[in-house]
Amino acid sequence: MAGSKGVPTGQRTNKIILGRTLFLAVVCGIVAFIVLGVKLYTVMIRDHDYYEELAVRQQTRSVTVSASRGTIYDANGHTLAKSATAYTVFISPHEIELYHNKEYKKGEKVYNDEPTLIARELNRILGADYDNMLEQMKDTKSWYKTVATKISAELADEVRKFKSDYSIAGVHIEEDSKRFYPYGSLACHVIGFVGTDNYGLEGIEALYDSKLEGTNGSVVRLVASNGTEMLFENYQNYNDAIDGSDMTLTLDSTIQSIAEKYLRQAMEANMIQNGGCVIVMNVKTGEILALANANSYDLNDPWGLSQETLDEIALIEDPEERSKAIEDAQHAQWRDMAVSDTYEPGSVFKIITMAIGLEEGVITEDSSFPCHGSIPAGQIIGRKTALNCWKRAGHGDQNLREAAMHSCNVAFANIGLKIGADTYYDYVKAFGLQEKTGIDLSGESGSQWWSDEIFTNPLNKSQLASASFGQTFNVTPIQMITAVSAAVNGGYLMEPYIVKEMKNSDGDVIYSREPTVVRQVISEETSALVADILESVVGDKGGTGSNAYVPGYRVGGKTGTTTKTAKEIATGVREYMVSFCGIAPADDPEVAVLLVLDNPSKESGIYIGGGQMAAPYVGKIMGEILPYLGVEPIYEPDEEALLDVTVPRLSGVDRVTARTKASELGITVREVGDGENVTSQLPVPGAQVAAGSQIILYFSETAPGDTVTVPDLTGKSVNQARNTLQNLGLFLDTSGASPAISGVKIASQAIPEGSQVPYGAVINVTLVDNSNLGMY
Amino acid sequence: MNVYGSEQNSNGAEETRTYAREELRDRRAESARVERGAFDVPFFLLTLLILSIGVVMVLSASFARAYFKDGNGMSIFIRQLGFALLGIVLMLFLSRLPSTFYRRMSVPLLLATGVMLLLVPFIGIGKSEVGANRWFNLGFTTFQPSEIAKVAIILSFAHIICLNRGKMHTFRYGVLPFAIILGATVVLLFLEPHLSASVIIIGIGAIMMFAGGTRWWYFAVGIGVVAVAGFVVINFFPYASSRITVWRDPWSDPQNKGLQTIQSLYAIGSGGLTGLGLGQGRQKYMYLPEEHNDFIFSIVCEELGFIGAMLILALFSLLIIRGFWLALHAKDRFGSLVITGITSLLAIQVFLNVAVVTNFFPCTGISLPFFSYGGTALLIQLGEMGIVLSISREIPLRKKKSEDGEQK
Repeated sequence: MAGSKGVPTGQRTNKIILGRTLFLAVVCGIVAFIVLGVKLYTVMIRDHDYYEELAVRQQTRSVTVSASRGTIYDANGHTLAKSATAYTVFISPHEIELYHNKEYKKGEKVYNDEPTLIARELNRILGADYDNMLEQMKDTKSWYKTVATKISAELADEVRKFKSDYSIAGVHIEEDSKRFYPYGSLACHVIGFVGTDNYGLEGIEALYDSKLEGTNGSVVRLVASNGTEMLFENYQNYNDAIDGSDMTLTLDSTIQSIAEKYLRQAMEANMIQNGGCVIVMNVKTGEILALANANSYDLNDPWGLSQETLDEIALIEDPEERSKAIEDAQHAQWRDMAVSDTYEPGSVFKIITMAIGLEEGVITEDSSFPCHGSIPAGQIIGRKTALNCWKRAGHGDQNLREAAMHSCNVAFANIGLKIGADTYYDYVKAFGLQEKTGIDLSGESGSQWWSDEIFTNPLNKSQLASASFGQTFNVTPIQMITAVSAAVNGGYLMEPYIVKEMKNSDGDVIYSREPTVVRQVISEETSALVADILESVVGDKGGTGSNAYVPGYRVGGKTGTTTKTAKEIATGVREYMVSFCGIAPADDPEVAVLLVLDNPSKESGIYIGGGQMAAPYVGKIMGEILPYLGVEPIYEPDEEALLDVTVPRLSGVDRVTARTKASELGITVREVGDGENVTSQLPVPGAQVAAGSQIILYFSETAPGDTVTVPDLTGKSVNQARNTLQNLGLFLDTSGASPAISGVKIASQAIPEGSQVPYGAVINVTLVDNSNLGMY
Repeated sequence: MNVYGSEQNSNGAEETRTYAREELRDRRAESARVERGAFDVPFFLLTLLILSIGVVMVLSASFARAYFKDGNGMSIFIRQLGFALLGIVLMLFLSRLPSTFYRRMSVPLLLATGVMLLLVPFIGIGKSEVGANRWFNLGFTTFQPSEIAKVAIILSFAHIICLNRGKMHTFRYGVLPFAIILGATVVLLFLEPHLSASVIIIGIGAIMMFAGGTRWWYFAVGIGVVAVAGFVVINFFPYASSRITVWRDPWSDPQNKGLQTIQSLYAIGSGGLTGLGLGQGRQKYMYLPEEHNDFIFSIVCEELGFIGAMLILALFSLLIIRGFWLALHAKDRFGSLVITGITSLLAIQVFLNVAVVTNFFPCTGISLPFFSYGGTALLIQLGEMGIVLSISREIPLRKKKSEDGEQK
């Protein structure tokens, strides 16, 4: 190099300078650009996708197009749940900041967003919190702060008007959907509800959420950094929303409302203190026709609590405990007892024991089951105490049918012991009582049983003996009714289900449910005999199920009454669980109805037992749903005379015709007035009154519009009650046990004592057969 | 060194003769009316081509912001177009002045620059987010004295190198005067402060000294000094050190200091191979700040893609190579050095600008010649091209050719 060799000569200097200039030319003209080219390559080609994605993300605004959630229909196509358009109002603090006091032009329009004005007006229209909105507006980088959700179209219009009246840029309205439940609380535990984000939270809404919700679409458009449209870019990308599937349930809203009505009545009449549930099932298919729990709630306001509960919670002082109490109360009202809770079924389970015994051939219809009131201590291996029948006096000598009619514990313990623990246990499994039924409802629980080892221990048969009449284990109501259905439907254990069909948004059927036979448990012959014996329990003289009687229909069934032993030991308070499982028609069962009532009160004045408390209401449900399902009633001759009479329309007819018509129907008339033709009548045409009632016909007069105080009818006989009411100008209508049974008494009345009713009103009462009181 | 001492002395006579000859030629050239031919057409056409593309890109890049700000999307473009036309006139005018004029003007221009730089911190104005006074407000436009300083450095260094010919290898003549001038200029620039201009001016000064024959190991020392100074600045001046942090990871401050870099990378990266198409860019819609100034090349990449960006860089490369070709063929040392300086300055600006927008270098305000919006900067750049063209007229080879042409 020049430096190392000393001072350069002139020519060398020139050479050096030439070299250096060439060097600069190469560095500045070529090397520098190669470096830039490599760098540009990495950013533009290698990392292109990465940067493009980030760029597009900030350059586009995506507006969600909500998919419409599928509709839920009942079996007859009545809408149980549907989505309707609702609106969300949000503010854009960024725009409010931008257009506030600046008269900032956006295209042709001039906006002037004033935060306090916006907050005041939105507070006026929507009731949104004023201070909170002003707080939200401080986050000026945000484009989206929700002010109100699920508002109606009218309110949305009002917000739009405010926007245009005051030239507001930073308030926006977005379409959204809101779930409506036309029937309110009907079948609330089956249908379930959605949260504010339309996400299914309970019931069918939760379980089939992915099918119901559909897929949201979007509209993507390019925007400038200030939110306005880009000038020469009209890029918009539409992704159509795919609406959710519609579902048809097996549930029938008519049957559901019948079931709910009588559940409610049973809860009130028996003063049930905990809960209650009712299930109506098609025994041949496993379709759930109705399923209700007493703890119902309004699906349109699922978080709302009853005033009673709120008053109770208001007493709690600690705010944390109070909010926890509210949450607990909400979860309690959402709880689906019918599938989520277990109970000790008691004597209803005798149906299963009987079926096993008959199927195994260890008993026959004619076997003899003498009962002396108890099985003495020591007779049952491993049991140290005597096993008592509910009737300590004993049932004496009885065959199988009689043992079932009597609900004799001694007889059924002996049947169980004859079957043997191993076989019995296998059948318990075969009847599906140790696994979940698989019903398509959320939150199904399993049962609680002795383990195989303990139950089949040859040195201790006490569990087997108790289990034979339904004690010392717990099952869910849905398991119980499914097992009973198998016992009477020809022996087939069905998988219960509630969703029958699903159609996608194009109307194509994407899911269609056929009845699922899990297995055949017993033979058709055994099953037919079981159904026949169950009919005797209700229909024959001396049967413990007599209160479930329905004139004209062959209703069978079995009562159940248990005490909560573990709870009694723990708390010293005795609580009862009463139930009734009915089937009809007994010769070819179609439906089963299970009513379970948790903790009735003695104060109801009704004897605590499934026969007195649950059976009448199952009978009432059967009485309404069997005609609805098209089952023709066949009356016995003596039955017909005792039937309720539907009051005919008599206005306009003369005295003679009116009398004739009335006597044909088995009612008498009281004539008031001097006119020739009937001008008015009580009760109104179409009302049901008890046979032998006297109706009032007015000739050239009008019926008085007075009100009458309802008397106390409980404990009265049918005739007493009819006469009492007749004197007051009221009418009687009965249901429950057959009035033909001697000594039937009125257990409860649909309109309570002391109520004011119009003159000529019909009072419905529930008859019970108290000839056979006991915990069966 | 002592070993070679005798050798130095023995060469002394020949050296003196050579210098005397060269000096005589220069003087003659200066005094005599030099034959001036046509200017270099390739250089001129390349300049016009790049300028045209640049002005079109200003239109594309500025339209959105101009529209939203003034309601007239053309406002920025029209100003730039006006300055471009004015600049072409200036370039043609300056190309007609003899190189001796520039040599005579070099020292007065340097002194004038010194005065301006001294004044700008006090009577100058600041712009936008940078808290520094770098501009004079001329009423109809603004103007940065540092732009003039670059030309002044090139011209005066070329002049001094010619004066100190033969003594450039010494510290006293080859380093000291330049170091003093550069030092003074950088001190003045620090008063504004204006880091990027300092970097460019030190760079261009160093290139002039390098081309002028300053011994290589002084550069080694110089680079060492700059490295130490750079280290100190980066570590002890928060203004500079925060830039380094953001340079390493722009996403560490995405809404503030990293914003420009991030948005620039989005724009460049979005371009891909072929780009979104001229005028179809999206980042200019108020996402990328300074989209028609320092970051205009990001928009170029977004709209014209890798191919377009590389073509534009290729044009710059051709212009620079042509510039060096002219430097190598210049009539005299002064002309050669001036062209080397101006061409290198162009290369430095292009390189640093693209390096900044691609986050290859830390973010600093360096405009892209002929592209970035800015009236006086464009005028000065075109003026510099005019000086190159002026010197190109005196290239003997071309003169001969044109004489041949006349004979025919």
